[in-house]
Amino acid sequence: MALLALLAAAGYGAAVPSVIVGYRGETGVESKMLAAVQADIEPASWLEADAGLSFNLFQNNGLGAAGVGVGVVVYDPAGFTLRLAGQHQQWNDWQAGENRLLVVLEAGPLFGFDAGFGLVRRVPVFGDMYCSPSGWSSGAAEWNYLYRLRWKFIRRESWWLRAGFSTYDRFTAHNPQQLPLEADGAYRLKDDLELVARAGTSIVGYSGGLVSFHEVELGAGVRHGF
Amino acid sequence: MGSRRAFLFALAGLLALCACEWDLWGIVTRPTVEDRVRDNLSGDPPAPGPVPVNPDSFRFAVFGDPQIKHDYLSSLGRFKQEVADRGIDFFCVLGDLTNDATPDEVDTVKLQLDRVGIPYYATIGNHDLYQADGWERFKQNYGPSCYAVVIAGRVKLIFLDTADGTIGSAQFDWLASELQDSSYIRLVLTHFPVYDGEKPIMWRLASDAERAKVQSLLEKYGTHYWCAGHIHGLRDTPVDSVHHLTCGAMAPGALDYGNAGYLLFTFADDSLSWEFVELNWQ
Repeated sequence: MALLALLAAAGYGAAVPSVIVGYRGETGVESKMLAAVQADIEPASWLEADAGLSFNLFQNNGLGAAGVGVGVVVYDPAGFTLRLAGQHQQWNDWQAGENRLLVVLEAGPLFGFDAGFGLVRRVPVFGDMYCSPSGWSSGAAEWNYLYRLRWKFIRRESWWLRAGFSTYDRFTAHNPQQLPLEADGAYRLKDDLELVARAGTSIVGYSGGLVSFHEVELGAGVRHGF
Repeated sequence: MGSRRAFLFALAGLLALCACEWDLWGIVTRPTVEDRVRDNLSGDPPAPGPVPVNPDSFRFAVFGDPQIKHDYLSSLGRFKQEVADRGIDFFCVLGDLTNDATPDEVDTVKLQLDRVGIPYYATIGNHDLYQADGWERFKQNYGPSCYAVVIAGRVKLIFLDTADGTIGSAQFDWLASELQDSSYIRLVLTHFPVYDGEKPIMWRLASDAERAKVQSLLEKYGTHYWCAGHIHGLRDTPVDSVHHLTCGAMAPGALDYGNAGYLLFTFADDSLSWEFVELNWQ
């Protein structure tokens, strides 16, 4: 993230930093406050990069997740972008962590829709290695599918709303057993400042035909372009 | 044309749902895992007690998913022969006893399990909740869906209710308390797997945070095995000190992830070993 800030300061592209605070709760699993700082930069019209850190409060305190990503626009008219991302997530109280490598082909936005499909290599790490982003072998390692379909259904001059489902974001990659639903939006406060908010949940257990809402994630913050 | 096609697809989907034998309203309004665990921990019905075995040497089988359908076929008849041939003392069924949980299926699988002729324990699977009275019928026939039993003072079997694909708050606390005593060899027996290998499939416990929490709990207390059904075939996935096994299914014929079969555990010389026994469905 510091590298992105340096690149932006050196005039290699427009940086968009943001600060988000929020809450994540999952029955029987965890209930915690979140605080995330993240930055996006576009060094060229065909290249995007992003990075972020997320911190937990009240449970699994401390650093919760880190993510870096780079996207290459391979066909601009349809917004086809090949995205490669690395994530590290950790739960300090449980001495458990997970390192992930994501490869996703994204498309859009077209008519307000954006989509993505890809794979994630997921490597859970436990014990002494739990906080290490360099642990890439584990008996629990697995491949998972990733998918996304979202629709920006309201677009006004100063605000927009979007809804859909997405199994991945900057810090997380959901298990295929979950169908994560989300809604987000933004409101322009000034030319270079936006208020952003997001609400998400996930339907779990659908491999068994018994579905229930299991997870709630709420967040709000500001995004600053310069 | 596009909207007409979409309407026809939606109608076909709705008809397919209506034609299946699931009680869709019953599924929506079913008791949640929290409701069931509250029932279980209330002591009514009481948890089954330990079966009498030779404390120095005994054998037990673990399998899931008989999934008795309207044709009432299963591999339990063949399993009865295995019991005699291999000297199995008791067995454990890890959910999905029926396919649609209809009264006929529920009665039939109970009859088939009883006919094996040795004591057994059971826990619940998602298919057993596909009718409004699924939980009540399960309780009447088999007792609680989460409970612990100690065999011969040495092996602790901890049955967990993961029929919804999740564990729930009360059951997590209960599981932690049951795992604590390290004087036993401890097995968690339940319907959903936590880890089962490399393939990108969805037949696992729901969330990553939940899986991380379960695994850290299992490691913290030195748990030996997590045995699960749901996936119809054998998987053996050691994760640090914990063996994650999917145990094979007792439904007939070749299934989606392997042939029918069961895990055979043998306790001897103060240690527990296992092997997978495949049932040839001919």
